[in-house]
Amino acid sequence: MAIKMYRDAVRDTIFEEMKRDSDVVVLGEDVVGGMGTAGGPEAIGGIWSTSGGFYEAFGPDRVIDTPISESAIVGAAGGLALSGKRPIAELMFADFIGVSLDQIWNQIAKFRYMFGGKTKCPAIIRCIYGAGYNAAAQHSQSPHAILTGMPGLKVVMPSTPADVAGLMRQAIRDDDPVIFMEHKALYGIKGEVPDDLDYTIPFGHARLTRAGQDVTILATGMMVGMAERAADKLAEDGIGADVIDLRTTSPLDEEAILDSVEVTGRLVIVDEAPPRCSLATDLAAIVANKAFASLKAPIEMVTAPHTPIPFARELESAYLPNPDKIEAAVRKALAYN
Amino acid sequence: MSKIRAFTMPKWGIEMTEGTIAEWKFGEGDSFSKGDLICLIETDKITNEVEAEYDATVRKIVVPSSDQPEPVGALLAVFDDGSASDDDIARFVNDFVPAQGGVAEGKQKKKEGEPKEAAIEGHEDKPKAVTIDTNRPISPEALKLAEAEGVDISDIEGSGREGRITFQDVQQALRGPSTASPKGTAVLPEETDVFASPLARRIAAIHGIELGSIKGTGARGRISKKDVLAKVPEDTGSSAPASFGAPFEAVANEAKVIPFDKIRKVVAKRLTAAKQNIPHFYLRVSVRADKMLELRKTANLVLGTKASVNDYIVMGAAKALAKHPEVNVQLHGEEIHSFAHADVAVAVASPKGLVTPIVRQANRMRIDQIAAKTKELIGKAGEGKLGFEEMDGGTFTVSNLGMFGIENFDAIINPPQGAILAVGGAERRAVETDDGGIEFATMISFTLSVDHRAIDGALGAQFLSTFKGLLENPEELFA
Amino acid sequence: MQLSREDLLEAYRRMKIIRDFEDFLHEEIAKGEIAGFTHLYAGQEAVAVGVCEHLTDNDKIVSTHRGHGHCLAKGCDVEAMMKEIWGSREGLCKGKGGSMHIADVDKGMLGANGIVGAGAPIAVGAAIAAKIDGKDENGKLRVAIAFSGDGACNQGTTFEAMNMAVVTHAPAIFVFENNHYSEHTGFEYAVGTDKDIASRAEAFGMKVWRADGTDFSAVHDTMSEVLEYVRAGNGPAAVEFDTERFYGHFEGDPQRYRAKGELDRIRAERDCIKKFRETVTEAKLLEGEELDKIDAEVATRIEKAVEAARKAERPTAEDVLVDVYIDY
Repeated sequence: MAIKMYRDAVRDTIFEEMKRDSDVVVLGEDVVGGMGTAGGPEAIGGIWSTSGGFYEAFGPDRVIDTPISESAIVGAAGGLALSGKRPIAELMFADFIGVSLDQIWNQIAKFRYMFGGKTKCPAIIRCIYGAGYNAAAQHSQSPHAILTGMPGLKVVMPSTPADVAGLMRQAIRDDDPVIFMEHKALYGIKGEVPDDLDYTIPFGHARLTRAGQDVTILATGMMVGMAERAADKLAEDGIGADVIDLRTTSPLDEEAILDSVEVTGRLVIVDEAPPRCSLATDLAAIVANKAFASLKAPIEMVTAPHTPIPFARELESAYLPNPDKIEAAVRKALAYN
Repeated sequence: MSKIRAFTMPKWGIEMTEGTIAEWKFGEGDSFSKGDLICLIETDKITNEVEAEYDATVRKIVVPSSDQPEPVGALLAVFDDGSASDDDIARFVNDFVPAQGGVAEGKQKKKEGEPKEAAIEGHEDKPKAVTIDTNRPISPEALKLAEAEGVDISDIEGSGREGRITFQDVQQALRGPSTASPKGTAVLPEETDVFASPLARRIAAIHGIELGSIKGTGARGRISKKDVLAKVPEDTGSSAPASFGAPFEAVANEAKVIPFDKIRKVVAKRLTAAKQNIPHFYLRVSVRADKMLELRKTANLVLGTKASVNDYIVMGAAKALAKHPEVNVQLHGEEIHSFAHADVAVAVASPKGLVTPIVRQANRMRIDQIAAKTKELIGKAGEGKLGFEEMDGGTFTVSNLGMFGIENFDAIINPPQGAILAVGGAERRAVETDDGGIEFATMISFTLSVDHRAIDGALGAQFLSTFKGLLENPEELFA
Repeated sequence: MQLSREDLLEAYRRMKIIRDFEDFLHEEIAKGEIAGFTHLYAGQEAVAVGVCEHLTDNDKIVSTHRGHGHCLAKGCDVEAMMKEIWGSREGLCKGKGGSMHIADVDKGMLGANGIVGAGAPIAVGAAIAAKIDGKDENGKLRVAIAFSGDGACNQGTTFEAMNMAVVTHAPAIFVFENNHYSEHTGFEYAVGTDKDIASRAEAFGMKVWRADGTDFSAVHDTMSEVLEYVRAGNGPAAVEFDTERFYGHFEGDPQRYRAKGELDRIRAERDCIKKFRETVTEAKLLEGEELDKIDAEVATRIEKAVEAARKAERPTAEDVLVDVYIDY
């Protein structure tokens, strides 16, 4: 086990997989950084420092610094994948799926199905997402819900460095297209990462991070840590919360959710995205449908409001879920009679 | 936690109602394993071997082998895992209630001579707990429930991913399908240019309110429930259908069965007999009540009472009866019993039905006394505290439905009395004045039902004439 | 034209297969037997065949909504395609794709595409893959070709793809088939560049060619040059072919936008198959009888394919759930 930052888990896992498999290719804006400048290649090494050293190790054929052309980046990833490569395309900000959506939605997600199962499309689209950096409305969003709703895609949202390593390796070795959502505010967190170069976490296996009997809290990405803090605080009052990190929203570990709710009877869903047609509402619908008999209280949802993401620090703080909001939601669920 | 299990007379096929223990293969204290032969049971068709469905110890043999048949569901023996105390076992046997609907239910109760409290309905009469060994995907809580309740999961279609069985699935299997009572489709009038909530549309349709006339105050200017309710006329009180009526909406219309209580049984029997046996005839008269109403105000003030119009009518009737004892009668067989004083029964609607307590010798009472007496009787009737002696006998009845706006009606004679006076409501009618003009007067309609066997028409008419005179010249009531 | 008799006969056969395939479909669709939207390629056969004759299964193409011609030219099975268009589970895509999504990745056919302009970025990805794989034993690169029309040339994705191809120096070829109509709108109106698409590609820094798309030998010869240039590792290139669409945008299109007598004129003067036949027989390269024989043979083949498609197994409701993921 090594202590690593989340961002290094991203970088190191891709690096090791590129060493292992020459079909793995990286492309995106500034993944090399400094191309065509006085500073030269790797003057930056990616603005998130998740591709440092790639260019030097693997060269321009496999580490492709692209123009700012998200459609072409994702489209090229699709073409590479159909041609036998394992491309890892980076969308510098997940918000940019807007300009590349056709290639994600109408192309890579559907190739296999449209072509009658006769092909595979092992492309990864890394989406750097999430609020917390005061990056305002177009650089802070969590667009996982629309991607989760697209048949053909797998959507991964790791919350720890170890999960990054295991899930990224799985994503690279997976033969289906994967949206890999990296939360930008988690890049600096540290944690133990297995040294095993074959460490993978299969998709669709949620992680129970706290075990309690009284309430179930579902979370992904940055929300997991907040849920854990809320759970720890509630534990001081003897309130036990199951905290479930979904890890992947597609496929979804429905069993983990239902099994927990069948025990606790109360559910709080934490979602960084706005409340309508969201992951939170989707999960609530599944539980309402399949565990109605176990529910003892209405399902509570702690989400962002139905607004764009504001810029100012105070506003962004007010916008985001936090442990206090989660705690309040848990208490509300427990108070329901 | 020891799990005490009841072993009861099984039911093999729909026809089996009882069986006889031919032989026990184990004695008290013996342990057996799943699959062991426990006993032989004979029915009128076959002798059957009973195999153990689980491992257990025989704690108590309630019914030894004998020639006596036991009903299906009867407790034959008690098993457990060996850990329950003898007291627990004894209590279990004592508290045992056969499953609902079983043949044993009635018979065992009879045997024991007293019905068991429902409170001990618990683990015993549920299906036996089982251990479920399955390859099918099932959530831990669902499995727990299925095992505890002995649910056969093979018939359950899992609603989870890839058919995984959820807790809810098992619970539904236990509960059985709901008997939904569909309400059908309500037809709403087309109002395409009106922006109203579905609920507002429904309420408007019920009350026949046109939405076009309403200004919406709901979200985004929408006509809301509140807006429509504001237009519903207050005095309709409940949601009574307006002129155009509510659109048809099918609802369950099953009869609520209310068995006759004792009072109703008596009333029904007596009224049926009365209507069938008594040759009724009817005399109708209208009385101008203006003077009486005037006098009532004064008298009430002077006497410090709150005598009602009905009290005056009772008084008037009583005084007229005293003057016409041939109407103040009871009929017994072929005898007419005539009384000097009028025991006037007053028909009162009580929670238990119609009752007729009696104001005795009302002809001799002052109005305030009548008022006090009727008030007392009505109060008692409301509380259901009228005694038999307060309703027994009576020579005449006054039944008043005037307060409900009834103009007039025909009452059934309350035997053995000879007549009953039905009182309608007071209403303002145009009448001719002495000088040929028109004025409005307060008129009350009366119908006297008379038993022709005891009272002839002329007698009845004379009585009514006197009665009318008393009410129209009420000072005579106090003469 | 430097093609052998066999190559010429094969080229004719392929063009004729496409023509008959589309003519048959035109009739069948009018009868209402085929579901969905179908866009026919008839009239443009010389481009598909003239381009694809140069390619192997290792070279990739990405097609358009008007893709039957490209698929057939690239070697997709006639009968399997017909079954796909009929929606059979025996179809090339098991009835999941239909006319607009025919693909055969093993043949280097990365899919027709229902989104106008979506193909070019995918072709660039395939070209980057070819670049990564490097040159073959003959010192040639594999290539990836994006077929686009005068409609797709106005999509930003096409621009992004052209720039990306130039920046990554990928062996991509942008083949623009200008049939003068983007759906129901005239080329003169919708393409701002003065009567030209190739100059757009040129502006992105590519070498470009232009040729008459109704002249098989012109297409074929031009592509020889283009491919030699791109396979040598000179980066991407573009070529614009002026061609004609014999049917409407989709089947059922009333084509009221056509000039009076336009269809008769282009069928008389701009029919690539008719022109091919005239050229090769006049030059005594092939005999008319040989070509007649191919006509008969192709007609039978297509009829048989239609017959087989009609009888082919229908998909079931269970098939809906299959092939979304490899593993989920």
